[in-house]
Amino acid sequence: MYHVRLIGHFIRASVQQELAYRANFFINVLHTVLSLITGILGIVVLFEQVNTINGWDFASTLALLGVYLTLSALRRLFIGPSLDSLAGMDGDIWRGTLDFTLLRPVSKQFLVSVRMWESFALVDLALGIGVLAAAVIELEHTVSLTDMLIFTLTLITGVMLLYSILLIFVSLVFWSPGFMFTWVFDGIFQMARYPLDLYPGWLRLVLAWVIPVGIMTTVPAQALTGGLSAAFLLGHLLLTTGLFIGASWFFRFALRRYASASS
Amino acid sequence: MNHRGGIVLIQATWASWLQYRSFFFVLAFGWMIPPLIYLFVWSTAAGEQTIGAFSRDAFIVYYLALILVNQLTYSQTNWTVGDVIRSGGLNPILLRPMPPLYNTLATEIAGKIVYMLFVVPITAVLALILRPEVDFELQHIVAFLPALSLAWMLRFFWGYGLALLAFWATRADALLAVQDSLLFLLAGQVAPIPLLPGVIRQAAVYLPFRYMIGFPIEILTGQLSAAEIGEGFFIQGCWLAVALGFSHLLWRYGIRHYTAVGG
Repeated sequence: MYHVRLIGHFIRASVQQELAYRANFFINVLHTVLSLITGILGIVVLFEQVNTINGWDFASTLALLGVYLTLSALRRLFIGPSLDSLAGMDGDIWRGTLDFTLLRPVSKQFLVSVRMWESFALVDLALGIGVLAAAVIELEHTVSLTDMLIFTLTLITGVMLLYSILLIFVSLVFWSPGFMFTWVFDGIFQMARYPLDLYPGWLRLVLAWVIPVGIMTTVPAQALTGGLSAAFLLGHLLLTTGLFIGASWFFRFALRRYASASS
Repeated sequence: MNHRGGIVLIQATWASWLQYRSFFFVLAFGWMIPPLIYLFVWSTAAGEQTIGAFSRDAFIVYYLALILVNQLTYSQTNWTVGDVIRSGGLNPILLRPMPPLYNTLATEIAGKIVYMLFVVPITAVLALILRPEVDFELQHIVAFLPALSLAWMLRFFWGYGLALLAFWATRADALLAVQDSLLFLLAGQVAPIPLLPGVIRQAAVYLPFRYMIGFPIEILTGQLSAAEIGEGFFIQGCWLAVALGFSHLLWRYGIRHYTAVGG
């Protein structure tokens, strides 16, 4: 309960900060709408030319885009702003302001991961869910209640995967405080816009097992379209749990390198 | 006009940028991901067949060329012009005994060199991995070079004009974001122009965006007849004249409107 109350406080503080820059709201709306339009048109243009690519048609690829947008929105809501503030030349690690976080009597990883929120991402979230709904209507496969449940489960594991990978990338910042590891991740994450099966074999392996961004969106989309096998789902759950534990360990390991700003 | 000073400035900027090359490499990495995604998606979609006039190899060649052309014509200066105007950083630049355009030019050239150091080897490696069959014809290469230079000038002055609106509006860079989305859709990034759906394709031929990225690549890969190339150059020239005109006007009126910030 204590942690939930803390998160409540973090959200309130973040919203107050955001409200100070109200003109930004319209710029944000613009960016969100633009990325939605370009995302959808990208798929429309592709499927004007071909009907299916390796088993993916327009509706299922749209569902995958919906998953991608939803995950991006959740990332922007809290994981992103919290973790990004560690990296870069004006980040907490470079400037040594991580001291203030470390001194607080709460779990370090908890605090580092949820202390900043960007409420505008709720608009992104609504649009992502909207795209998902549109895709479900378009799908030839009727989505059953079990499909929905498995979809929700895989979406949650998707968020956990995303969080774990970001935590690993951010932990690397302790070795090289100025390097924008999260930007590198941003680039790779964009590849999750399209199903894994649309990439060549070697890249598929990388996006599934080395930096599993492809898994995050492909698995929930397959759950919706009914193309997910039970064995694969189990493997996915195990992978996610393993990665989450590994990432948490790696963060604690990296944190030991932190030497504050003073010499 | 103090041209010698300008040349020294260009050298100094280049040297200082090389110091931070890892930062710029990360940026360049992020920019080359979208074309890479479409390279993989389209070449997978083509498989053993052809889409329009494009085979798998044609898509690979097209998008590898696009990675290079996009990076060469991309002008990140356009994003910083607005900041310089808003923050009052324009003052020292105006006081120097040479045209302020040299400053922009210096960062442009420094940027091109630093980014190419990253993008050219990566593209070469990709070409070696993917091994597309390709032969360029001499006359296409000859026509490609002026088209590329004009594309760079057009993209640069077009964006420069938009950025100069910062003299009047504080968040003019929102327009640059819109411009980037239009470039994504209409310049041949999401798909080669001939594959766009009917109305959009016709619009793309007459709007300026194709002439910033797609047009030179279409020439290089031999997709255009001599008549189409001639027509393309004409449209490109017209838009360049427009861009030069309005960026020049905006600079003249803007600089009178400019009131410095700071001490």
